[in-house]
Amino acid sequence: MSVHDGFLSVRSGQPANIITSIQEAFGMIVKIFDVLVAGLLLGGIYALIAVGLSLQYGVARVFNISHGEFIMLGAFATWILYTTAGINPLISLIICGPFVFLIGFFLHKTLFKSLLSSSPNMNVFEGKSMLACFGLLFIIQNIALLIWGADFKGYSYLNVGINFLGAVFAANRLVTLLAALAIGAVFYLFLAFTRMGKAIRAAAQDPKTAGLMGVNINQVLALCFGFGAVMAGFAGALISMCYPIQTTMGLEYTVIAIIVVALGGMGSIVGSFVGGFLLGLIGSIVTSIEPSLYLIVFYFIFSLLLLVRPKGILGR
Amino acid sequence: MKRPLKYFKLGTCFVVLILLFSFPFSVYAKDKIVIGASRSISGPLAFFEENAFGPLYKMWVKEINAKGGIYVKEYGKKLPIEMLVYDDKSDMGTMTRLLDKLILQDKVDLILPPVSTAFLFAASAVANRHKYVMIGAEGGATSLSETMDKVPYFFMVLQFSNHYQMPVMADIFEEIGVKSAAINFIEDLHGIEYSGQASNELSKKGIAVKMIKSTPPDIKDVSPILKEAQRLNVDAYLSFTYPPVTFPTVMTAQAIGYNPKAMLLGPGGNFEVIKYVCGGAEVVEGVMGEGAWNAKSSPAHAEFAKKLLQNMKPSQLDWWGHDVYWTALQVLEQAIEKTGSLDHEKLRKSIANDKFNTVLGETWFENQMLAEPCYAGQIGQWQNGIFEVIDPGPKRTAAPIYPKPPWPAPKPKE
Repeated sequence: MSVHDGFLSVRSGQPANIITSIQEAFGMIVKIFDVLVAGLLLGGIYALIAVGLSLQYGVARVFNISHGEFIMLGAFATWILYTTAGINPLISLIICGPFVFLIGFFLHKTLFKSLLSSSPNMNVFEGKSMLACFGLLFIIQNIALLIWGADFKGYSYLNVGINFLGAVFAANRLVTLLAALAIGAVFYLFLAFTRMGKAIRAAAQDPKTAGLMGVNINQVLALCFGFGAVMAGFAGALISMCYPIQTTMGLEYTVIAIIVVALGGMGSIVGSFVGGFLLGLIGSIVTSIEPSLYLIVFYFIFSLLLLVRPKGILGR
Repeated sequence: MKRPLKYFKLGTCFVVLILLFSFPFSVYAKDKIVIGASRSISGPLAFFEENAFGPLYKMWVKEINAKGGIYVKEYGKKLPIEMLVYDDKSDMGTMTRLLDKLILQDKVDLILPPVSTAFLFAASAVANRHKYVMIGAEGGATSLSETMDKVPYFFMVLQFSNHYQMPVMADIFEEIGVKSAAINFIEDLHGIEYSGQASNELSKKGIAVKMIKSTPPDIKDVSPILKEAQRLNVDAYLSFTYPPVTFPTVMTAQAIGYNPKAMLLGPGGNFEVIKYVCGGAEVVEGVMGEGAWNAKSSPAHAEFAKKLLQNMKPSQLDWWGHDVYWTALQVLEQAIEKTGSLDHEKLRKSIANDKFNTVLGETWFENQMLAEPCYAGQIGQWQNGIFEVIDPGPKRTAAPIYPKPPWPAPKPKE
């Protein structure tokens, strides 16, 4: 009887074990998928933040430390339009874009152009422009502080869960990813197929020769700075859909942008997207294992890149 | 013999000049009390200047000056207050330098504290070195409380982990029947102390702590941590984080449909602004936070809440710190009146030993920290838009809601 019981228990136990194992394996697959989706969603925003900085430094040669302040401006403009006029944040992108572009374009035409003309070479200009950007950071941040204060602002936009093959994530994050991809694709096509895009690429590769070939370098550099500001503004608008915003939020996004640009390669739009998604994925994987290592891993990658491949993955 | 006489005459003239000019001016020409402060007006900590102690000291100065000032017996008159506030840009090194400047160069009569626990830690040593009384505001820590005997001129008013929020939280959890918990904490003194104390106190009550995770202050996505807690199916989720992580914790939990039976938030959960940031009072219904006080705590609290609403935007209200910060200012004012002096040694003795009548009722310090019976509450819970005190005992203004209600469906506008 005992043998029989034992036999029975073994036989009946096997399917139960198999089911449990299948359930565990499925749970693990869902968890991995969940982590990957979360990484891609975050990566979209990182990429968009970095595209702007990459343009500004890679082409216009302005290491824009105040990049995050343009992100903040985009976020606050979207918040105001949504909370006061009920304008959909995605429509705000179209409204705010030209406005932020003009700020960036005007800044280059005035501040950076005068620095460029007073600098004997580009290396001196880079140093001067970086210092000017520090000043800009404080000016923009303090003006924003005077207008909006230091309070957290926010609104709830599509903060509902979407279940995709077992991975649950917020709908607003999916919107930000799709918007970031769309903006990136449009900008890539602009650079690849338009006359102005070709001029920008030529200026990025060799500004002197591009100038000799009839490209209005000053105009192109100002345009690049303007486009960089637009990208930052777009990123800010998308960030405001998912996170609380604050007038002092800029610097932390500037740091992320610098890491992504170093990872993807200076001046490369595709590189910024590759870097953004890579960093998003790495961040998500690390957070799921040990969240406390999140920033340490970012800085480790940054240091490693500077040592091994300073020009980044797709840098020239 | 001539030379010594000459020096004697010169010396006498010098002393007479000093007596003529400095002594009478210092005693009779005193026409105001200058109070200095190094506050984080810009930078990451600016939020606290705008929502925590910042609006209160401004309101206090306005109120004091409206009634002619504080009566200081040794000057025989009321002296109005003049504030001298510098922006430390949320930088601790700048803050300590500015504090030195205020005391040594600007020669302010009194000082108010800087923002945050870590800054208080540094400022307490500076104040003590110059023998200047400083009553802390935003911040408090167990490790800071352990060094109080070394900084006798420093006093703390805000509650912190073992003073007495985490023991009270464990009592509440035991009462409502929480069996298991998950903790996420920020990697700084606040997070480390709170997570340690919470885990200790919960274990004493037989509540299993199934997850403890730490996160950097600017983590962008907390969903992996929330999902881990969801998988562990714990009753309570505790987030000892600052507002930039606290608010997204609520928003992300709502989006992914993670609704633990109890959710307790660190700094941020106590601010009225959470309702504005997270999408409305109904979103935070049943969410717990560190604190707490409200208009029902006492008639004095009701009056105080009314006064706050007359002087600031509703979104600036802080249901953890505002009553104790006001208490700190009232204690300073009453200590000056009691001693009739701006002498820091006299003020220190008075604050350490006397009892004061404040918004909290009878108020006194024990080991330079506000005594436990003085507080209006330790743990709050959002119920119908009010941050109710849910401490067991007479301080309770509403019974705890358990389990927490489900997250509301998004509004049509969304």
